Parts: sequence; C-alpha cells; structure tokens
Amino acid sequence: MKTRTRLHGLLACGATLAMAVSLTACGGNGSGGSSNDGKIHVLVYGDASNKVEKQIVETFNKTSDVKAVLDTIPGADYQQKLQTIISTPQAPDVFFNWGGGSIQPFVKADLLMPLDDFIAKDPNLKDKFLPSVFNSAVVNGKSYGIPMRGTQPVLLFHNKNVLDKAGVQPPKTWDDLLAAVKTLKKKNVTPIALGGGDQWPTLMWFEYLYDRIAGPELFQKALEGDKDAWASADSKKALGQIKELVDAGAFGTNYDSVKYTNGASPALVASGKAAFELMGSWYYSQQQTDAKEFAAKGLGYTTFPTVPGGKGDPANVVGNTNNFYSVLKKTKHPEAVAQFLKLMYSDEFVKAQMSIGNLPTTTNVPKFLTTSASPEYSRFQYDLVAAAPSFQLSWDQAYPPAASTPMHQAVQQFFNGQLDADGFIKAMQALPTE
Amino acid sequence: MTLMTTQTTSAPTAAETPKKVRRRPEGSSAVLVGRPGFVWALPATLFFALFAIAPLIMVAVLSFMSWNGLGSPQWVGTDNWNRILDDPVMINSIWLTLLLTALGVAIQTPLSIVLGVWAAGHQRNRAVLSAIYFIPLLLSSTAVSVLWRALLDPNFGIPARATWLFGDGNLFGKQATAIGVLAFVSTWQFTPFHTLIYQGAARAIPDVLYQAAEIDGAGRYRQFFHITLPQLRNSMITSMILMIVGGLTTFETVLILTQGGPGTDTTISAYYMYQKAFKSFDFGAGSAIALCLVVAATIISLIVVRVSGYDKMRSDMEGVS
Repeated sequence: MKTRTRLHGLLACGATLAMAVSLTACGGNGSGGSSNDGKIHVLVYGDASNKVEKQIVETFNKTSDVKAVLDTIPGADYQQKLQTIISTPQAPDVFFNWGGGSIQPFVKADLLMPLDDFIAKDPNLKDKFLPSVFNSAVVNGKSYGIPMRGTQPVLLFHNKNVLDKAGVQPPKTWDDLLAAVKTLKKKNVTPIALGGGDQWPTLMWFEYLYDRIAGPELFQKALEGDKDAWASADSKKALGQIKELVDAGAFGTNYDSVKYTNGASPALVASGKAAFELMGSWYYSQQQTDAKEFAAKGLGYTTFPTVPGGKGDPANVVGNTNNFYSVLKKTKHPEAVAQFLKLMYSDEFVKAQMSIGNLPTTTNVPKFLTTSASPEYSRFQYDLVAAAPSFQLSWDQAYPPAASTPMHQAVQQFFNGQLDADGFIKAMQALPTE
Repeated sequence: MTLMTTQTTSAPTAAETPKKVRRRPEGSSAVLVGRPGFVWALPATLFFALFAIAPLIMVAVLSFMSWNGLGSPQWVGTDNWNRILDDPVMINSIWLTLLLTALGVAIQTPLSIVLGVWAAGHQRNRAVLSAIYFIPLLLSSTAVSVLWRALLDPNFGIPARATWLFGDGNLFGKQATAIGVLAFVSTWQFTPFHTLIYQGAARAIPDVLYQAAEIDGAGRYRQFFHITLPQLRNSMITSMILMIVGGLTTFETVLILTQGGPGTDTTISAYYMYQKAFKSFDFGAGSAIALCLVVAATIISLIVVRVSGYDKMRSDMEGVS
C-alpha cells in the first residue's frame, strides 16, 4: 500500500516536472534568434516600415553567401526586450536603435563594435550620410550607427485657415509668435495645441528654445556631465521665455489633459480650435490619416521661429535625427555585416524608403525627391536638415534611458507651475548622464 | 467550508457514512487514496513555487543588487533600500496607493452591496439590467482606460459638453481631479465584479429568515440591515480583500490614464516600480519597491482577516438549517 502511494506521488512529481521543463524550453526560443546558425540576425522595431527592411534583406541575400534574417519586436516593447536579450546568446548581430543615449549603456557595457574600421575600408559608410544625422550615433568619438530609416525633424505646423481668419502670418521670430498668441486668444482660438498628457511634446519646446538661445553647446555640455550648464544665464533665459509663453496662455489651460498619441491634439488643429502645433515631421502623415482634406488644403508648416539675441544658429533643428543600425561586437560575420550596411546608402534603399513616406538622410536623396508622395514637403525637410549646422537629437533620447522619466516629469511640472526655474534646474542636474 | 474541515477530525456522523461509500465503492482504493494528502497538492504547490515563490525570492535577492539588465548584477548591500526610503516620490507613492485603495473600498463596497442585493431579485427587468451592467467586467482594464481617456478629453469628450461641471476640463492636469478620475474608472470597471459576489451571496440567504422577519413585523429596511447585511459579512470580507489587493497592485489604469502625472502626482507604488525597473532599467530599486508592495499587501490582508474574524471561519448560517 505504502509503496503504491509513493508511486503515485512520484508520477505526479514527474508530470509536473515535465510540464515545467517543457514550459522553460518554450521560453528559450523567442524572437531574436541565435547567431550560431551561420546567419546574421537583424533585429528591428516592428511597424509598417518593416516592408523596406524586408526588401533590403532580400536584396542582400541574393548576392551574399552569409544570409541575413530579419527579426522584429513589435512596437512599444522594443527597448525593454532589446535590453533583456542583448547580453544573452540570443542577441542579434545588427539592431535598430535611436542613436545617442539609447545605445550609450550598450557601449558602456562593451557590447557594441565601433564602425570606424568599416568606415576606413569604405568611407562611403560615413560620407554618403548627412553629417548632422550621422553624428548622433557617435559616442565618445567613435561611430556606432549607420542611419537606416527616415529623418524626423520637429517643425512648427499651423492651420492656414485659422491664421488667415485672424490675420496672422506664420511667425518668423519669437516676438511674432508672442504677438500671434495675443491675436489668436482674442479670436477665442487656443493659440498652440499641446499634447501635454504625453509629456514628450512639451519637451520639444525646451529643446528648441535652449538651442535658439544658448546654442547646441549648452545641452552638449550638460550631457557630458557638466551640471553647471543647467544653472547658466542662458539656461535661465530660456526658461524665462518658456514661462512667458505659458503665462501668456499660448497653450490654453487644459493642455495636460490633452494627448497627442490618441489623436486629440492634432484634431484641435485640424478642426480649427487651435492654430499651431510643434511636432515631429510625422505630423504630416498623421493629419493625412486623421483629416485628409485638412492635410491637403489647410496644413502649413514652418521652421521654429528665430530668437533675437540668441547664440544658436537659426538654421539648427531638433528632433529624431534618424534610426540607426548598430553592430554587436560578438558578431561572427563582420565582413557580411559591413556589406549589409552598405545597402543603407543604395539607390534601392532610398527609393523604397521614399515610397512609404520616410525621408532618408543620404546624399543621393535629392535625385529621388520627385518620387516622394509629397515632394514639396520632402524637399522642405531635406533642405532643412542638409543645411542645419546642428541637428539636436531629442533630449529624452540623447540622455540614457534612465533619465527619460524624471526629465518628462520635470518639463511637465515646469509648465504647470509645480516647479519654478530653480526647481527645474535642480531636476535636470539630478539626471543621470551615464 | 466549516463542515469540511471539522468532519475529518471528528467521528463521521450517520448522514455522511453512506455518502462516502457511494462515492468510492471499492473499499481498497478508498483506503489507498484516503483523504486529500500532500501529494494531491503537489502539482499546484510546484506550480506556485515555480511561478510565485521563486520569482519572489529572486526579487528579494535582486533588491540588494544593482542591475540594469546588461551584464551581471552587482551586490550593493542596502543601497537600493536607502535610496528608496529617502526618495520623496516613493514615500508619496505609498500614500497615493493607500488613498486610492481606500477610495476604492469606500466607494465600491456600498455601491456593489446595494446593486448586488437589488440584482439578487428574480424579476426579469433586474436580470436584463444587471446583464447590461456586467459588461465592463468583460472588458480588459486597458480597453476601459483607453475608452475613458478618450471620453474625458477636454476638447472633444464629455467635459467639453458639460463645462458647467468640468470647467476647462483639465481633469488630468491637477492632482485632485486626476485621482478622482482614477477612482471613478476603477469603480466603473470593478463594481460589477463585486456586485456579482454580493448577488450570489444575497441569493444564498435562506428565505426562512425573511419570512420570520416579516412575521415579526420587520419592514424592508430593517430586513436589509438586520438580515441581509449580517448575512453578507463573509462575502464582504472576501470582496474587500480582493479590492485591497487589487487597489495596491493597480497599474494599467495609471499607465494609460495618467502615466503617473501631472508630474508625479499620481505615481502610485506599482507604477513607480514599473518606471524604475522597465523605464529606467534600475531593476534593483524596482525590486525593492515590489517587495515593499508584497509586504504591505500581506500585512493589510492579515489585518483585515484578523479584525473581521474571518480566520475563525465562523459560519453566518448559525441556527438556520
């Protein structure tokens, strides 16, 4: 009797163990893939742009002995999952990133391969790209990324009809903007739509004003760990001007309850309830999807106004410079990877990107601008980026990922008055820079 | 439940013996299998150990380490704990968590008791209405939060139509209203579930009690307060513990509705843990917060069980059958 009971117990035990083992076995083989199968694994952010990445991988595989495999991680989870697999055997050979701070922890952990050797063999890997864009994936003086999608500078968009009705011209200077705010308020229009609930749209105002007033050097210094940069006179001046704009009622009163990501702030501009919105260049296609007629007839765009007396070049832009491919040090096929990266400045790549509405940042883009879905808009952006002495990567991506949340909180709190200038400066000084 | 546990120790009564025989006709196997032993619980125990105990221990270990997900974790002693206990956002998040939990219990309990008792009636209109009312229960918290974020948009949602009530509609821009929205949305979402608990419990109350009360001349309100409510006591504790544990671990609602904002005004502990671990990749601090939550939830649940006498398993059916 006793032995039989024990047998039952053993069986139950065994079954449970088997279940547990099969469960863990399942977990081991997710996306990402291992690089021991004689192929190079290319990991990208999963979205509509994957169409082009697939095409490029196919082109590569036609001629290469070492085949490439495209793995994707869908949307919002990308950075988290990448962080989890990058130091494991499942890590890819080549992966998508945002340059700047998004790869800094990996550089620090000595996981990435500097691409300077590749560039020495094929200088085109650097020279074929716009320098202001290429530089945002340079960490500690070494190149770690090759641009692989489209550029997304931040522009000031407006509703033409609303400006016409109010008799306002798109602002060229900061004073123009302040005057426009006054006039528009009198017409009961929210002068500037802001998706403050998402926090990062608020940050864009800081990025531009700091660049216009202090030049890109201030932020660069702060990023390198010089905390005093935030307490400088220029920093305080920029904060003063932001405050002036907020206090003038430029954003209305309920911007923190409005989001960009659920389409609410673009709808404000499209419906004529607000006049301006500062947003990345993807705004155009967003409006084409949400409000087709408005995008075709009523949507205007300009560069950010100049600020009189500012040290920054008025031609500077801020935003997402581009996405990049970076290479892991442990890749077994560096030669094949170098060949793969060369495709990122090929005519085929440029044409394919333009066909889905992305604007690549290679020097051969002007040849194909007429093939773009909206040639005028593409040319405007390309000329802007090509002529920009500095293209400041969005602050939350230039800093390491750990800084992003406290940075977002600080800009929101400065806008709604919970933090004054000194409080904001302290918050920025407390951000981790490495 | 009371019966089950006492049965095994005391001598079987006359009524139970034939039942046992009916269930297991072959005497030998009845003796072999016997009453549920440890082996029966083994699969569940292993499962629990693998997916609850093991992660819990790992989290505890990780809270004494510094790890950003890359490379191997480093021992840092109590560094994470010191940082967290000195962090004003963390301290604030505990108060916010307790406040939201308390609000949830205070609003949802009376609402779901009233609704549950009402829905316990067998009238057809009640059945139809309660079926409609249970719909939020079928939606995921994420869907519910996305829905309410859109409905509460200040320019295109309800607040734009009811400016007399909402003013400029800046519900997510101020702490008090943002907390209000969070409490409201979880109430909207979870009250149906607790209503279901009370509906079932109210239907289980024997009719004889009400019949006796009626004979004694008790009106509807006296019946409610002197029969229904006392009879619902155990369900109330079950529902409250679920609410408290649910409240302490609320996460998606905050993630989608407020993202902890404005500033850190609605950053509750569970959300702060997510921010630390998965946004800032500070897994050490995240684990320390997680452990705080586990300890807090356990203590609060134990207190509720003790204070309410739930642990004594006193039946609320005494003297009824």
